Amino acid sequence: MSIEVYNLTVRYDNKIALENVNVKVEHPSLVVIMGPNGAGKTTFLKSLLGLIPYEGEIKIFGKDPKKARSLIGYLPQRDSINTNMPLKVKEVVLLPLVSKSFTIKKEHVEKAKKYLEFVGMLDRWNDRFDSLSGGQQQRVLFARALVTEPKVLILDEPFSATDVKTKMELVELLHRLKGEKTIFIVLHDINPLVECTDMVMLIQKTLLSFGTVSEVLTPENLEKLYGTKVPMIRRDNVCYIVGGDRHA
Amino acid sequence: MLDILVIRGIIAVFLISIVSATVGSFSVFRGSTFFVSGIAHGALAGAALGIFLTLALFPIDPLLMAMIFSVFFALAIGYATSRREDVDVAVGVMFAFSMSLAVLFLSMLREYASIAWGLLIGDLLLLSQEDLTILVVSVITIVLIFLIFYRKIMYSIFDPESAEASGLHVMWYDTLMFILIAVGVVALLKCVGAILVYALLIVPAAASRRMFPSVSGTIVGAFVITLISGLGGIYLSYYLAVAPSSLAGLIAAAIYAVSLFRRR
Ligand SMILES: Nc1ncnc2c1ncn2[C@@H]1O[C@H](COP(=O)(O)OP(=O)(O)OP(=O)(O)O)[C@@H](O)[C@H]1O
Ligand SMILES: [Mg+2]
Repeated sequence: MSIEVYNLTVRYDNKIALENVNVKVEHPSLVVIMGPNGAGKTTFLKSLLGLIPYEGEIKIFGKDPKKARSLIGYLPQRDSINTNMPLKVKEVVLLPLVSKSFTIKKEHVEKAKKYLEFVGMLDRWNDRFDSLSGGQQQRVLFARALVTEPKVLILDEPFSATDVKTKMELVELLHRLKGEKTIFIVLHDINPLVECTDMVMLIQKTLLSFGTVSEVLTPENLEKLYGTKVPMIRRDNVCYIVGGDRHA
Repeated sequence: MLDILVIRGIIAVFLISIVSATVGSFSVFRGSTFFVSGIAHGALAGAALGIFLTLALFPIDPLLMAMIFSVFFALAIGYATSRREDVDVAVGVMFAFSMSLAVLFLSMLREYASIAWGLLIGDLLLLSQEDLTILVVSVITIVLIFLIFYRKIMYSIFDPESAEASGLHVMWYDTLMFILIAVGVVALLKCVGAILVYALLIVPAAASRRMFPSVSGTIVGAFVITLISGLGGIYLSYYLAVAPSSLAGLIAAAIYAVSLFRRR
């Protein structure tokens, strides 16, 4: 049981966004993906989901991405959501369950409630999604990614727009999910998740480095990644980045 | 006794309200309201060509040509945006192109151009039995498609990437939405005219979303607001002797203005 990527190259209009990526991730693990803006992190996730054309081969538990969609839960970068649509929180979480059936079944509602409870948003069941704060919306979308009970979770910057408290709560949830799911998570600041990260991918147009936290997070690698010196401290053989979020 | 034309007008308003509640609301959700107005002018160009062909060569229903043109324009705009063109620019170009065609065909019509004027302005109180039949068929089509694909269309509009990632063919539902808009626009063409399609298709839904901010609330509200505007327009036109569609448009705009003052 693993997720394998061989010689993955992605072009947009003939411009290379991601070149020759090779990784193999055993199930279950938590994989943190880091890299500067425009490095190709989202592009990598979208190829795992089969959302964009790519060269090379991707196997998710032996299946092609398009065939593996029912195994994956996805939390997109928040700017891809259309807030013109006045959906309620419950409707948002129910979408993946009911979009393929004609009626809303009792079990759909139960699952939606279960996962909203899990992210601590059940009391907002009847509220409008666009009336929530950015961090609250993020949690609801996290519940939506979980509601189909997927084996693989793909989370694109889930901590953007979250305050410290929400961030720590989400980290706690990831701790609880780790061990049963394989989680790919794009982060600009790995510090809150350092203890439960199995693997780190550094992406800058290609895979700069892949391995455990202590193998990958070295001052040399980070300088190569961001093109500037990154202040960090070392503790228990793990490097922590000082100054937190590298998002400009 | 109510005149048969008035009865047809009232039935038409009821049907238009259904179009506005479905196609109108989802256009507002999708943020493609300018698109609607672009398609209306594409339909006008098609109708003008239909009239020209009928007079010069062979008989063809102008509304059929309008339908062909607006579906074609809708798909062309859809194609341009899938190639990462900004949707406003794509619509703007199509708008200019279809108005140029419309003026071209109208000028070829010469003394008969007044027939096409009817489609620019429309008239709720001059509908033929055939116009009404076209309206009924369009409405049934639209409602059936929405009943079947309601949630899939909703998911594709709200979060296209996740919808795609969960296995929906978003492109397909986008195209379907474009075609529904085209059908809705043509259905309204004879009743309110290309200029005022926007007033009865978009304005009620926009007002309704402000007043009843939920998906079902917007849909029901758009239906009611369109009904009030349309019936009010017909009623007032009795006394004022002006085009009912203009009055309907004014009532809808007034309701929108009121919705602006409401606290969200
Ligand atoms: N649909 C697209 N068409 C053309 N170019 C694209 C498209 N999507 C992304 N790109 C380009 O590909 C590169 C990688 O983009 P990507 O979104 O994967 O970066 P990212 O690492 O996720 O950045 P961020 O931290 O800003 O989210 C960028 O240069 C971007 O401009
Ligand atoms: Mg990104």
